Amino acid sequence: MKKQNVNYNQDYKYGFTTDIENIKAPKGLSEKTIRFISKIKKEPKWMLDWRLKAFNRLKVSKEPNWQKPKYPKIDYQDLYYYSAPKSMIDKPKSLDEVDPKLIETYNKLGIPLNEQKKLSGVAVDAVFDSVSVATTYKEELTKKGIIFCPISEAIQNHPDLVKKYLGSVIPISDHYFATLNSAVFTDGSFVYIPPNTRCPMELSTYFRINASETGQFERTLIIADKGSYVSYLEGCTAPMRDENQLHAANVELIALDDAEIKYSTVQNWYPGDEDGVGGIYNFVTKRGACRGKNSKISWTQVETGSAITWKYPSCILQGDNSVGEFYSIAITNNHQKADTGTKMIHLGKNTKSKIISKGISAGKADNTYRGLVDIGRKALNSRNYTQCDSLLMGNKCGAHTVPYIKNKNSSSTIEHEATTSKINEEQLFYCNQRGLNQEEAVSLIVNGFCKEVLQQLPMEFAVEAQKLVGISLEGSVG
Amino acid sequence: MLNFKINSDKIDKIGNFTKEEKNFRLKNLDYFNDTGFPNKKSEDWKFSDLKAIVSKNFSKLDIQLSKSKKQKVDFIKDFEHNYIIVVNGELTMSDFKYEEKSNIILKSFTNDNYPNKKEKNPLINLNHALSDKGFFLEIKENYKFKKILVIYYLFTKDLDENILNSKNKIKIGKNSELHLLDYFVNDSKKNFFNNVYEDIVLENSAILKNIYLQNSKSSGYFHKYSKNKLLSGSHYTSFIFPAGLKFNKLDLEFDLEGEKSECNLQSASFLDGKEHQEIKTRINHLSPNCKSHQKVKNVLNAESKGVFQGKIFVKDVAQKTDAYQLSKAILLSESSEFDSKPELEIYADDVKCSHGSTSGNLDKDSIYYLMTRGLTQLESKQLLVNAFLNEIADIIKSNSIRNFIKTKLETQLLNEYKKH
Repeated sequence: MKKQNVNYNQDYKYGFTTDIENIKAPKGLSEKTIRFISKIKKEPKWMLDWRLKAFNRLKVSKEPNWQKPKYPKIDYQDLYYYSAPKSMIDKPKSLDEVDPKLIETYNKLGIPLNEQKKLSGVAVDAVFDSVSVATTYKEELTKKGIIFCPISEAIQNHPDLVKKYLGSVIPISDHYFATLNSAVFTDGSFVYIPPNTRCPMELSTYFRINASETGQFERTLIIADKGSYVSYLEGCTAPMRDENQLHAANVELIALDDAEIKYSTVQNWYPGDEDGVGGIYNFVTKRGACRGKNSKISWTQVETGSAITWKYPSCILQGDNSVGEFYSIAITNNHQKADTGTKMIHLGKNTKSKIISKGISAGKADNTYRGLVDIGRKALNSRNYTQCDSLLMGNKCGAHTVPYIKNKNSSSTIEHEATTSKINEEQLFYCNQRGLNQEEAVSLIVNGFCKEVLQQLPMEFAVEAQKLVGISLEGSVG
Repeated sequence: MLNFKINSDKIDKIGNFTKEEKNFRLKNLDYFNDTGFPNKKSEDWKFSDLKAIVSKNFSKLDIQLSKSKKQKVDFIKDFEHNYIIVVNGELTMSDFKYEEKSNIILKSFTNDNYPNKKEKNPLINLNHALSDKGFFLEIKENYKFKKILVIYYLFTKDLDENILNSKNKIKIGKNSELHLLDYFVNDSKKNFFNNVYEDIVLENSAILKNIYLQNSKSSGYFHKYSKNKLLSGSHYTSFIFPAGLKFNKLDLEFDLEGEKSECNLQSASFLDGKEHQEIKTRINHLSPNCKSHQKVKNVLNAESKGVFQGKIFVKDVAQKTDAYQLSKAILLSESSEFDSKPELEIYADDVKCSHGSTSGNLDKDSIYYLMTRGLTQLESKQLLVNAFLNEIADIIKSNSIRNFIKTKLETQLLNEYKKH
């Protein structure tokens, strides 16, 4: 497995690999692999049955092909579906027992895994390839009755909750990649916030793909019970390899009466090099259900990485007066392709949704916003506002907008606006005149362009995201 | 469910064709028979499931073969005009009394172009296979029409579960100008399907202004595919006023091939009952400095459904493109539906492209304001709807024609209001 890495490249600072001995499942996708994963995770039988049911479904379902970015056929038999640092076989009880090499990796990534960094005040669940490495701040959270743990632990310790909610937002038969994930998912985070509790800190998961020829299939399940609130952050990186790696995650959010979930993502998977070699295929299914009255789900995403990003974080607004929000920045450079957007499905009365999407395309990249707003017959007095703006840099890139808008009753209102343009020369000139060089000027203008979305991010992420926006566009001007 | 497969021997009944043409027709018939009428699975038909609509409303679809009889025509008396009369898709009569006839060529359509590619739209295949009617109109170079040309499209009483396939071609020469009114009059009370393929070419600096007006509601099922080619400096303006049909889909494609060509589309319609209308546009900006402007307005009542699918495509060389698109809908009833898919696909950076799409009910504050001025609620609503739709007709420059269109629209609306 110790494959030669691609040269360390300044642009992608997370491109290093960690040499850790790994345990892997047998290569390829088969019932054997699934049984292996289930066994190594010490899963109960109902979980294995669930996985096998998904696997059977997978045999008859087909890969979708309607999306804009095309990619070479993925050989699902040439992938490892489980890879874990050897030292994780017997689970460490505390952080002290965790392989120091792993801790070092996370330190390099700037993740405050160490309890010393308590002051940063973010509870972290770190997922390395297929297993969750460590979860911090457990005690403090337990006091409030909040469950924040790897999903593999939740399956063992909180089977009732998992059984009740897993697959209730993304059914196993949903589509090819969601089904694939249901069959082979390895780890991910589980969050449960009890009624009338406000989670005292930001919860965060950090995903890292390290081993080569692996796919990462994580599964996240967040349940906010009545009257609760949680803000959840997700970050992703991967080493630089000249092969394409698959990342097919499923994220399910459930908000009950008066609950609120805020889900923020900074996605910085390895995007491939300048010629489009390597990079992650990021095919992710994210969906939230506002089940209860007055519930709210808000998605914020900053998508800068991945060779191909293909995801539509969605909200199903079932409860009356529920609210769905989607804020997105998608930046593509070089040969990157992004096809992202959201679905807002209004079913309850007085439901509201808001979509702000900013796409920036440079180099030879393609950036597509694809979204659906569907206001059902019974969703009286519903409201949607959508704004998608695209910025083009250079004439080899593309920016596309494909919104689907359906209004099925007369008391609801939908507004949709989209624009595409390049950076205004006069603005650039003004900045230059004030002493900024071309690159600084572009960075400033782009940050301004993205501001509406960046504002939605929690503090810790906002700074990182702003830097990322700058880095992602380096070399794309002039 | 009904099977609408069409036997290849039907082609022999239409006429005698050269070997090449017959092959072309047979091939297209195969394509159509493979897919049948399009359904929701096809991306372009996502919002209009034609297969379901056809099988629900037709027990058979006969290819109409009998020669069309001469029809009595109610000529428009509001303004002087030239005219062409087309009965059930077939060219029967014309009069260009205000023009120099040497500059105009008008004849029945004959096909001389057999593209090899498979069309995405099965209805175009169907048209290629079976079309047997239509006209070809050419305006030679440097000729400006003195009066408007009205094309009367008449549909006769004897149409009953028939399908009409026709092809029309209009070519406007360099620096020429034509104003056109497509005027639809339907006498048939029964269901029939009208499938039209239109091909329009505007040579350099040519101007075409087109108004599409359906005189009254009818039980026709209409599909029109229109392919438009615009060369340098040419200018195309179109106003679309459909009266509302059981099914009406206008699939309009524009290739802005020459620099500085410009295309404007405006549409206003009021749908009622179970009417279904879709306007689909695709504007291909293929050269620099082109402009396109689209504005589509719909008012939806009862159980009607309105669809707008508009796509703006900008090729990488088409710098300085200015493209704008707006679709607005007012939903008056709980059971009406409006779907839209305004798409942008852009590969050039120095462009200004935007689109907007809104749908909702009439503004409550506006109704309240009008009621405080002494209008009843119904009157206020009518006034607001009229104003919403009239905005499109108001753009028409010629006074007599604008007034004619407005009167037509107002009578249509009044008939609607009387019903409720």
